[in-house]
Amino acid sequence: MTKKKGALTRRDFIRGTIGATFGTSLVGLNWSKTKGAAAGSSLVTIVRDENAMDSSNKVNTDVLHKMLEQTLIKFTGEKTVKDAWLSLVKPSDTIGLVPTPHLNPTHDEVTDAVKSSLINSGIPEGNITNAQGRPEKPKACTALIALPALKAHWLTGLGTVMKIYILYSGNARQYHEQNNAKLGETWSLPFVKGKTKLVLVDALHPLCDKGPQVDPRYKWAYNGLIAGTDPVAVDTVCLKIIMNKREEMRGEPWPISPPPLCIEAADKEYGLGTSRMENIKVETYGWKEGLFL
Amino acid sequence: MRISPKTVSSASIIIILFLVIFIGATTKMKTNSIRLPKTIDSWTRPDSPRIVTSQNIFDYMNGAGELYLGYRFDHLEVYEYTSSQEDDILVELYFMATSDDAFGLLSLDWGGERVTLSDSAQNVKSQAQSHWVRALYGEGLLRIWTDKLYARVMATRETPASKKAVLSFGKAITGDQKNLPEPGLLKALSSQMGSDWILRKDRMSFFRSYLVLNSIYYLSPQNILELDHSVEAVTAPYEKASEAGDAKRIQFLVVKYENPERARNALDHFHDAFLPEHKKDIQPDSTVENPSVFEVEEGWMGYKLKGKYLAIVFDCTDQELAQNIIHQNVSNLSKMEE
Repeated sequence: MTKKKGALTRRDFIRGTIGATFGTSLVGLNWSKTKGAAAGSSLVTIVRDENAMDSSNKVNTDVLHKMLEQTLIKFTGEKTVKDAWLSLVKPSDTIGLVPTPHLNPTHDEVTDAVKSSLINSGIPEGNITNAQGRPEKPKACTALIALPALKAHWLTGLGTVMKIYILYSGNARQYHEQNNAKLGETWSLPFVKGKTKLVLVDALHPLCDKGPQVDPRYKWAYNGLIAGTDPVAVDTVCLKIIMNKREEMRGEPWPISPPPLCIEAADKEYGLGTSRMENIKVETYGWKEGLFL
Repeated sequence: MRISPKTVSSASIIIILFLVIFIGATTKMKTNSIRLPKTIDSWTRPDSPRIVTSQNIFDYMNGAGELYLGYRFDHLEVYEYTSSQEDDILVELYFMATSDDAFGLLSLDWGGERVTLSDSAQNVKSQAQSHWVRALYGEGLLRIWTDKLYARVMATRETPASKKAVLSFGKAITGDQKNLPEPGLLKALSSQMGSDWILRKDRMSFFRSYLVLNSIYYLSPQNILELDHSVEAVTAPYEKASEAGDAKRIQFLVVKYENPERARNALDHFHDAFLPEHKKDIQPDSTVENPSVFEVEEGWMGYKLKGKYLAIVFDCTDQELAQNIIHQNVSNLSKMEE
């Protein structure tokens, strides 16, 4: 008996054969042009400071700015913050900042810190815009800085990096059901592809259960910024942190359900980066307690 | 017959008056079925709630709306209580078509501190007689199942004052509500299998949607069990503690369809999608004792069709265990039907 085309199941996930059942693109892309996993090692940095938030979970902006500076210098290897930014973007770029808008959204303090750091590095303020939302917004940008918040998600497993551009599809709901594994294609849209210069995850106060709405019992003070230019590698590290936190919280295995198929698919189907921890170099700085790596 | 302009005008006025009264009454019924206090401690609400329906639920909560639409959702009333001294408290009242649906929403997470909100003698008695809790509190969030209502009351920041207020909101919400019983299908699951396998009631969930099922136990991103609002479904794990300390788990699922034909079609679909390499062995005849069992990647699984019920078990360590669990729980279904 042959299997019905497109009938992806738990068994495919266990066997690691999800790619065989993908089907057609939701946004008209040609997979054969996008396939091919990234080769080599991807760097992901994690900078943490236990004073990034106070006991009421209010962000300490002075500490946050220092964390951002350290992130930029350590990730790029440049000597100054200005040089770090200029190794990622050009002063002539129109830069779109793309924060997570809902359900444990990116802290405004993080978005503001990135903006002021760019301005201090010589990027004209008028060249920096919030690009989250309609497809027209990234179309107007020459560079994007993804600023997702670290969180689990009840429809996609993880709702962090791969999901950050979902609104650019023009129909976010089409990815809610059987097509959530195809989120990687939003990174391959013609007006998005190649524009992301940095992924900087707001991991100050993550959400480790899927929701769908925020339950404060599943938020904790991680007090971190996670950075990289390989979006799949960054999401893979984020997933590991969330999974380890869940297990610690319940004291028993607590797998994310549904599994975040979009991460592996982003690697194997869309060639956006690597989802294999052995191909990811994770550098950690600052507060070491509860790293969950 | 010639109708004068005066007659037309009078009729129009009567129709308009009727519509105003009828629509007004309907709106009033829909928006004021729970009377929340204007003020609790230092928190005050606006005069009217925000009304969210299935048409605009995604505007209010994005993808989270899929959860509520997966149940029989009627509408949501949202109140934002503000205070000059404390952070806001959000009150969300989800009006569901049945008590089972409200139960289902609470059943997705049994964690938190159990709280008793209703002081009525009848409700206290029914609460004492039931395993199932009606309200759970944790770190500023109170979740409630009462009558056909599911409610979330959340303090933006938990303080002693906000906790007191959140629980006061809970009492106000549950005050005039009835404690209806839990879904009957829950009774199909034996609390123990042999001497080893214990039902995890704290992981037992009621649902009607494959998206909800996937958030509990991932099966397929497609609706291979043909779940929808017309079905009732319950899933829970059975657990066996081991000497090494790592518990083994199996997952049991039972679905009640509208009729035997729908159950049969759903099982057909499930088998084709999930077990394409295995010979189909669907026995609708309830006199056939043994369920169909199959060895797959995660151990043994099995299913059995019993009229409009479909029982499935996953992740069993051996064939016999799969058969025994299905056999015992299907026997419970037979008793429920008698």
